[in-house]
Amino acid sequence: MMTTKQRENTISRRNFLKVSGITAGGLAAYSALGTGFSRISAQAVQDRLRTKTVYTACVMCPAECGLAVRVENGVASAIYGNNHAPLNSGVICAKGASGLQMAYNANRIKYPMIRVGERGEGKFRRVSWDEALDYIADKLLQIKAESGPEAVIMDAGDVTDRDPYYYLFRAFGTPHTVEHGSICDTPRRHGPKLMFGGKRVEPDIMRPVMVRQPDGSLKNDYSYRTRLIVYAGWNPFTATRIVYESRGTVEAKLAGARIVVIDPALSNTATKADQWIPIRPGTDPDLFAAVLRYILENHSDDNPFRRYIDWSFLEYSQGWEEFEQEFKSWWDKTDPVNGLNYFTLEWAEQRTDIKAETIAELAHTFGITKPAAWVWGMNGIGHHYNGYVASIIGTALNVITGNMEVPGGAIDTEIVKSSKGGNASGGAFNRREVTRRINGRSVTGTQEQLHMDWYGDWPAAWDDVVGDYPRRFNEGVKLRYGPFRGHEYPIRAFFLRTGNPVITGSNTQAWVEALTKKNGDDYNVDLVVYIDTPFLETGMYADVVLPEASYLERMSLSDIYPSHPLIYLRDFVIDKMYESKSQYDIMMALARKLHEKGDPDINPADFWEKYPTEEDFWNEALKVSPGRVNAGVPLPYPDYPVNYRILGTPDSLEAGRVTIDDEKKEIRGEPVTAQWIRDHNGVAVWPMSWYRFNNGGVLQTDSKKVEFVWDYEVEKDGETQRKGRYAKYNKLIEEANDTPPALRALGWEKYPRSFYWFETIWNPYTNPDYVQYKDEYPFLVVSGRIHHAMSGTQMVDWLGRIPTEDLWMPFNDERVVEEIIVGADGPAPTGRQVRVPKGTWCIGVIQMNAADGARLGLKSGDLVELSTPLGHSTRGKVYLVETIMPGVLRLPLGGGGRFSPGLGKTYDFRDVSPNHNNIVDPDALSPIMGQPAYCDMIVKVTKV
Amino acid sequence: MTQDDKLLDKALAGDDSSRRSFLAKFASGVFAGLVAPALMGEAQAVSAAPAEQAQQDLVPLPDLPDAVEGEHPVVRMMQDLRRALQKPMAERKWAMVIDLRKCTGCNGCNIACVTENKLPPGVTYRPVMTETSGTFPNVKRRFVPRPCLQCNNPPCVPVCPVHATYMRPDGITIVDYDRCIGCRYCMTACPYSARYFDFGNFYGDSEGGERQPYELLPTPEYGRDYDRASGASPIGNVRKCHFCIHRIERGDLPACVLSCMGRATYFGDMNDPTSLVSELIAQPNVMRLKEELGTDPKVFYLV
Repeated sequence: MMTTKQRENTISRRNFLKVSGITAGGLAAYSALGTGFSRISAQAVQDRLRTKTVYTACVMCPAECGLAVRVENGVASAIYGNNHAPLNSGVICAKGASGLQMAYNANRIKYPMIRVGERGEGKFRRVSWDEALDYIADKLLQIKAESGPEAVIMDAGDVTDRDPYYYLFRAFGTPHTVEHGSICDTPRRHGPKLMFGGKRVEPDIMRPVMVRQPDGSLKNDYSYRTRLIVYAGWNPFTATRIVYESRGTVEAKLAGARIVVIDPALSNTATKADQWIPIRPGTDPDLFAAVLRYILENHSDDNPFRRYIDWSFLEYSQGWEEFEQEFKSWWDKTDPVNGLNYFTLEWAEQRTDIKAETIAELAHTFGITKPAAWVWGMNGIGHHYNGYVASIIGTALNVITGNMEVPGGAIDTEIVKSSKGGNASGGAFNRREVTRRINGRSVTGTQEQLHMDWYGDWPAAWDDVVGDYPRRFNEGVKLRYGPFRGHEYPIRAFFLRTGNPVITGSNTQAWVEALTKKNGDDYNVDLVVYIDTPFLETGMYADVVLPEASYLERMSLSDIYPSHPLIYLRDFVIDKMYESKSQYDIMMALARKLHEKGDPDINPADFWEKYPTEEDFWNEALKVSPGRVNAGVPLPYPDYPVNYRILGTPDSLEAGRVTIDDEKKEIRGEPVTAQWIRDHNGVAVWPMSWYRFNNGGVLQTDSKKVEFVWDYEVEKDGETQRKGRYAKYNKLIEEANDTPPALRALGWEKYPRSFYWFETIWNPYTNPDYVQYKDEYPFLVVSGRIHHAMSGTQMVDWLGRIPTEDLWMPFNDERVVEEIIVGADGPAPTGRQVRVPKGTWCIGVIQMNAADGARLGLKSGDLVELSTPLGHSTRGKVYLVETIMPGVLRLPLGGGGRFSPGLGKTYDFRDVSPNHNNIVDPDALSPIMGQPAYCDMIVKVTKV
Repeated sequence: MTQDDKLLDKALAGDDSSRRSFLAKFASGVFAGLVAPALMGEAQAVSAAPAEQAQQDLVPLPDLPDAVEGEHPVVRMMQDLRRALQKPMAERKWAMVIDLRKCTGCNGCNIACVTENKLPPGVTYRPVMTETSGTFPNVKRRFVPRPCLQCNNPPCVPVCPVHATYMRPDGITIVDYDRCIGCRYCMTACPYSARYFDFGNFYGDSEGGERQPYELLPTPEYGRDYDRASGASPIGNVRKCHFCIHRIERGDLPACVLSCMGRATYFGDMNDPTSLVSELIAQPNVMRLKEELGTDPKVFYLV
């Protein structure tokens, strides 16, 4: 506070006017000695000199850009991009720049807490770390003794530095270590996974890329060679997961590329497109299939204007003929909804609401324009029941047109990025032998074979996916496959670390019911532990809440999707705040506690003796970097053997300080370490190359070719072997003679060998089962991604003031609210009243076409209720705009109905903002991997 | 006695006209942030640096591999800055070019500016406007970042009753917080609404009541450490974008330029025909906001 003396000083000739212009709250004007210059002490000068810049990795979103954070006297004061990290090349988005308000948020979880009320009440008491860990360890050991360690799920959530948790829980004995992919976009990744062993196909527009030159030097290439990018259901400007697609797309366009965006709404990406093609939600596979059929029907080797297919893809592919045959087998079939033949332009027009000629033009343009990339996204494809189909066709489109791995074409970033993790992920623990008694019989298998999905209802749920919770919380697990077939166990402990499935993991009510279900006096799930920096809804249902250090207070590694190997460090930027601990700290503390209490699976030699410091642990994770083979053109390391795996620092590889292991086919330089990265501008970069599929290269399939057939036989050493991505699961199915329920529902016995097709659900335009609902429930609902205001960052004031994409708008009414802040004992009123003036805070809204609104007699800001045929509903304010197609509503995923008091003003407007997941069908899990079908629902709209 | 010291003496004597010229000089000093204590007699060891030394103390250029052709835009612009800083201030003319074809509407610039300049709630030097027009399906939308346009004929300057706001020789219009009386005439005069009043609010005040560490740090504007958290200037003053003078005079780019997700914002000396901004301003698709007012802005838009 200002002293009286200072105040006197301020009343000068000029301050008379000044004071008159100041509100009471901000009354102040301080100048000293009459010189007019404000006072700055020698200490302050010293503090300025203590300014430093720390290179680190963002984690405000999973793009994880390289950062340069300015620290003034121990306080993070500004966040910039690291110019040396080619992924973001110095740029940063609003969310990244806002990291200060996350790290220094009043609503951070500050201390360990144990629940005192019922789950959901949000009542806690502050405890010591020792007491919290005691509580957790006792419960864990009790559960392990009674039900086995497989009764525990560790969900390492929405950000990626998960290894310490994976390591600990795999050591403890559970195979259920999962990450956010289980609720994210698995259908979207499916095609690349089947065909390349990859995950994400992105355009070759990350610039700069560092490329080997003919003279042997390494230079940065800034040129854009792409001529066409099709973004289907993918909105990189707003999602930003692939951060270089923001600057890359606009630069490529200026360099001559055509940009086409296919989306029901005018997304931010669509605003920069040459062509925006609105599409009816859930019909992406229909459009993709029509494009593929058009290309196959109209391709001509002899006509340069119709030479769509580049047959050179056959050199590094296998099974195309069978795929094509399966695809064509649908051509004469008649669609029961529209009476037309499958995959024709007219058929697709009926389904997608895109004119046949537009589809033909798109197919032709994509066919003749090279290099090009056909890219599909998260909400558009990943959130639909049949997104797998689109993902597979999209992958095939890139391959047969010769666009994979050509300069300016498409890249599967998963198989070219740097490896990391290695032993630090604890995979070895999952291979341990364990024994269980099943029906009186003693059975031995690996720990992994206890997995509730992989050996339960969802054998293809790879990528650490747990597809089927919260249902398993209620029903328990009965394994169908593998050595432990018939083994039954309950799910009794749920650890959640940075994630919020109550709001983002399918139907909210289903999660609440599962977490609050009781057997007698006890909760059905005995132990729920919530570990995070912000306090989100799922934390309301936790028994123990642990404060995890924010990303500025801990170490780990970037998890990114660049066009070539690069990796950087998440480093200590500021001191840990309050009583928070890093993931490493929490792993070690809980491991010690379990060890002290006699857990035989926790061996000091695996933990504190092996990794005495946090840096030791991450250095272990770096030992496998970059871990990609020396492949492509220009060859990254022309002096080293082709297709050998590259390990080690860029400078040791460059200088020849390597060991070449011909047996393991490895080129081993000096291991990358955290300190090496710090000493080299915070980033390790290895060279880019193209044509990395040739001769096997970076492909991760069994055949080291692009595979169009996913369950096939090869003869090797006189033996017949089953190969292909689905072969493993089909073998399990055949051995058990038991079809996974979701496949049975599709009428399949096992996973198909090649191309397959099935319809999405809750779509009256494509699936005959839902035609009956068309008139009563006239709106299809999709979710939109408001990158900067997704689930975990809505308490960030700066972001709460930025309207985005007609989904996140300053539609708040004026309210005076009782302030609640997350304190030592959980959320508690401060006794203060805070006024939020009208129109000053963005909330999630329901985006509706203006003509639809007029027809319903609505105006922007009206509160409406959306209700589904299943009886679910949510409420929110409509925003009538021209930026969405008629008959479609768009809601922000995780953008409304937020009932955690830890969300500041967002919490205050929970009653007038829609929760998309209130209306999602809780049983609609997409049939291959079990991801919730977030974007398949129909509603009617009622004014409230 | 150096020129700076003489100016300091004059300033201490309370001579307003010299204080103004001092500020102009002062803001061009690389160690600008350290001059204030010298003024107060509390840090005698620290003094303004001579120009030669200044060059050595510029922030280092990014250490990037050579380019096959062209250059990283950040490196190019930082080199442009270095050339400009070698010239006398009056021979520089700072300009900004914003390529609207590349602005993705991410608001990274907006927040980077807020954090760099420690702006309070309600003050945003660089909002990004969204303009939507048309009817479905013929709809278009564009994003228009709006910093202070740094007019050559700034309507905000003549209305100031105490001459607190003026255009520096290098073309940047600044606010002398120590003279500003907070009358806000300039806010009314600005046709672009690019000026803001600092009401003395803090983010922490409306969330828990405790100010957060980052808002207790002094604001670095004009190369000074304004200790706003103690209630001092710029509270009660009008504030505006100043092209991050304190950064550019260290050879660094303005916060918005460095951060821009679409690499849509460029900065440099338009008096230097070899600078990137000079090249871009010569493009046929350049426009300026409200050209008809004759304000002659130095922020150019490519459309």
